[in-house]
Amino acid sequence: MPVVLLEGLLLMAMIAIAVAIIFGRSLLACVIIYCGFSLIAMLLYTVVGAADVAFTEAIIGTVSTVYFVIAIKSIGDKKGGTRR
Amino acid sequence: MNGFMEMANVALERIEFFLMDRGIYMLTFILFAVGIYGMVVCGNYMKKLMCMNVMQVSIIFFFLTFGQKEGGTLPVTIAQLFSAEDYINPLPHALMLTAIVVSLGITGVGLALLMKIKELYGTIEEENITGKGGGL
Amino acid sequence: MKYKKGRKRAAFGLMLTIVLTAMAGLKVGSFLPIVGDHNSPANSYVANYYIIHALEDTNSPNIVTAVLADYRGFDTLFETCVLFLAGLVVMTILPPQISPEQRKRLVKVDNHSFGGTVLDSSFRLVVPVIMIYGIYVLFHGEVSLGGGFQAGALLACAYLLDRIIPSFDNRLGVLWEEKAVVLAGIGTFFYAFTGMLPMFCGGKFLEFGKLPFGIFLREGTVQLHSAGILMVELGVTLCVMAIIISILEVVLERTDFEEWRKSE
Repeated sequence: MPVVLLEGLLLMAMIAIAVAIIFGRSLLACVIIYCGFSLIAMLLYTVVGAADVAFTEAIIGTVSTVYFVIAIKSIGDKKGGTRR
Repeated sequence: MNGFMEMANVALERIEFFLMDRGIYMLTFILFAVGIYGMVVCGNYMKKLMCMNVMQVSIIFFFLTFGQKEGGTLPVTIAQLFSAEDYINPLPHALMLTAIVVSLGITGVGLALLMKIKELYGTIEEENITGKGGGL
Repeated sequence: MKYKKGRKRAAFGLMLTIVLTAMAGLKVGSFLPIVGDHNSPANSYVANYYIIHALEDTNSPNIVTAVLADYRGFDTLFETCVLFLAGLVVMTILPPQISPEQRKRLVKVDNHSFGGTVLDSSFRLVVPVIMIYGIYVLFHGEVSLGGGFQAGALLACAYLLDRIIPSFDNRLGVLWEEKAVVLAGIGTFFYAFTGMLPMFCGGKFLEFGKLPFGIFLREGTVQLHSAGILMVELGVTLCVMAIIISILEVVLERTDFEEWRKSE
């Protein structure tokens, strides 16, 4: 099943992005990276064959990114994330 | 040149077999562990929330892995295909569809709690609230 | 200096975690079925029944929708309830604090440029297309990909674009969070009501084959299942859309755009 090669590559990309989220300095940058994470998750679900789930993930990833960005606007990135 | 291509093919087949046998599960577990580790280590509560989402994606993918079938198509019935062998297992998809939407609800509740914490303490950094920690 | 040391320690811990998990995964993975195996336990028993009988049982070619709304409708009912509860909890934690008069003023003040005239206009062009697509996904959810959850999220997406990107007079109107939560409750109730309808005609809860639509459709036909799935998906769509909108409004209410723009 050659599809697993693609799955493995996408999973490794997801792990790299998760590490980038953990070590990121700016909160806004982390949120944008998280948007990329959910994009790759969508690709992964499509590869697996779960088109419905991928469809949902595409929309939900967008919506949750918007939530995070608005919350950062309200909470304030200046004092919080970019101290170092 | 020909020999090199043959060697590459053999190596690819080996990697493929390893991934099918246990590699995919291993990578999924690693993603899960990275998510948990981020939840433990990150000092910022919003980052903790993002790491929780990472963990959820790994769990959802773990379920979807069980539904895969070699040579199966999407689970939408076509007139020419009748046998159960031809379609990917739809049961994990139906279960995980609701899980994703509920994860959005969890994110919303988490953000609401975050804003309440900001109102009460004036910050969302863990070390400023508890006086301890501050690893990352 | 202290932070740098902390980061180094965290990186070391992460490496250790990854290596340990990889070793554990190699061991555990050998007990799990091979990926793509036709005879694994997950692919053997009830899933095959669903695949073979979905079309004749529920008249829905999309097997995922058939499982979601018909075979396992009880699960989905409570997932919808969970989502509704999430909206209620958000409303409880952060109650609305602005009076209606202030809200009217807030909507007027919000009319600033988001990303320049061209970007604003092009985003505004996308909104009706997304709405039409959402309604298409709702009504064709059983024939092709899609369903209640996706349709609700798409409609909420259209609202979100329209809410965040300011327009002059032609906005959809603002659905405040209390009304949105009430709408979500109506959606959840509509789902439960659809489940209760067959009980009046001697059926069981969520048994779509005995829906009392005898005037339009013959009893016992698969068309009744289609009608039931459509009603259920309508309820799910209302709930998902309203909850996404209510959480958005709650978070948006506490955001001071004016101050944020000044600090830029």
